[in-house]
Amino acid sequence: MLVVRDLSKTYALGGEPAMAGLDFTVGEREFVCIVGSSGCGKTTMLRCLSGLIPASEGSIELEGRAVQGPPEDMAYVFQDYSRSLLPWLTVAGNVSFPLKYKGLSKAEAAAATEQALAAVGLADRGNSYPWQLSGGMQQRVAIARALAYQPRILLMDEPFASVDAQTRAELEDLLLDIWRRFDITILFVTHDIDEAVYLSQRVLVLHKPAHVFESIEVDLPAERDQMETKKLPRFGELRTRVLASLRAPDTASA
Amino acid sequence: MAVTPTTLEDTVQLSAVPASVHRREVSASAAGSTTAARPGPAAAAGRLGTASRTDGPKEPGRGRARLRRFGLGLAGVVGVIALLELVVRTGLLPETWFPPPSQIFPAFAGLVADGELFGPVGQTLQGWVLGILAAAVVALPLGIAIGSVELAHRLTRFLLEFLRPIPPVALIPAAVLIFGSNLDMKVFLIAFGVFWPILLQTVYGIHDTDPTLRDTARSYGLPRHARLLRIVLPSALPYIATGLRIASAIGLILAITAELVVGTPGIGVSITDAQSAGDAQDVMYAWILAAGLLGFLLNGSLQAVERRILHWHTSFRGGNR
Repeated sequence: MLVVRDLSKTYALGGEPAMAGLDFTVGEREFVCIVGSSGCGKTTMLRCLSGLIPASEGSIELEGRAVQGPPEDMAYVFQDYSRSLLPWLTVAGNVSFPLKYKGLSKAEAAAATEQALAAVGLADRGNSYPWQLSGGMQQRVAIARALAYQPRILLMDEPFASVDAQTRAELEDLLLDIWRRFDITILFVTHDIDEAVYLSQRVLVLHKPAHVFESIEVDLPAERDQMETKKLPRFGELRTRVLASLRAPDTASA
Repeated sequence: MAVTPTTLEDTVQLSAVPASVHRREVSASAAGSTTAARPGPAAAAGRLGTASRTDGPKEPGRGRARLRRFGLGLAGVVGVIALLELVVRTGLLPETWFPPPSQIFPAFAGLVADGELFGPVGQTLQGWVLGILAAAVVALPLGIAIGSVELAHRLTRFLLEFLRPIPPVALIPAAVLIFGSNLDMKVFLIAFGVFWPILLQTVYGIHDTDPTLRDTARSYGLPRHARLLRIVLPSALPYIATGLRIASAIGLILAITAELVVGTPGIGVSITDAQSAGDAQDVMYAWILAAGLLGFLLNGSLQAVERRILHWHTSFRGGNR
């Protein structure tokens, strides 16, 4: 469980806050999507949540422990897979290198790597280098690395924003499959409303400076399908609602 | 990619004025390797092509293309040698000052045959190795330190810009005063000259480590030393390799300069000796040929090592696999 209380971040003293009064809770095994227009402070929020930078005010608790640095039970998947994978390591090397520092033995790390690569459908590509793979496959490697780390929560920063539509749909379904099979919570940031509604159980709409404007329950059937789910009238209603919420004037903080 | 390290280095070697060129080359090389180390969308697109080539079965045409490239290169060399021969034989260039290749090559073969070649080449090489080692031992750790500490980076920026342009050859008189006309002096001169490209490339490489890579490493809880050893250093390696290759070319130029000007033993002295012997122009050119071949071999071996270690880098992908 991730509890975020009244989180604020101001970079320069006396400057405009990038995040102000961010407040939300993500439950055990929940899949939550966060949408917000560009420049609303999503990046700041993610960097704070992941413990990469400290917040100016407020608190973050993951599984009851305060987040002060990058937590051991959190894994971060970056948007730019080509820059977050190490080109000098093989696919397997990329997945396994963090495990040593988590205290796993060589054998444990190898087993976790194998399992994670199998989960993303890359069992036979362990010896390739990331740059020999397509963009979609590279992002699978990044997801496998996150899975092998065995986190309680997966933080994803627009992970499918730079792949083509077909690959994107495949990756979305892969992620849903992983979420069902593994015991993890997912916090997924995207600017794509369809993606947010399709993937999640709940959409948080962010307004600037980063704070939750509205939390929208996604009451779609649990089983999602790219064609069928998106045809449902309820899907259309939900995406209209998210869009309206994104565009709504912000009364709360004005 | 606008400037590849290879062409850069060629410029350095071709230049008659090592010091002034060196300064420009270093900054240019930094820019060049920046583009190389940070592949943009264009590079990424090219990469996919490479991927399919390395993954699939070996193309039958690839070996032939390689042979063709080599054949054309060889034809170029032979052509130029033949042209030189022609130009001298027809009297377009006076034979007194320009012996034809058909005399230079036998003279060179003679130097090899009676073993005269190896002493001076070894002495030049000794200065080269010691000078580069001495510079690298200081420049690498210092570059890592400056590149990883933002304050140090800012503090030293102007200082480095000021020290770097000093032409190493301007220090020859001072170096002779301090060390005398010996190996120490040669090593000092080389070490000073190659210190800057190695230091600056290391600083750039460390400093330019992709922030996403740093964040990735931090988010997975890598401790500081592991981030330096496993993330920052490997990603700076292409820059450092370029620095070493520039250093190699400058080092050879400075070694021979020291030998020519001060008379410390090596190829340079053999060139002046052959020149003052008067009647043996072809031997002088044979020594010049030796200097060129040495540079060619040094460059080639460094490139081979680089290709092995940096096989993953954008400039080598698909070539060696």
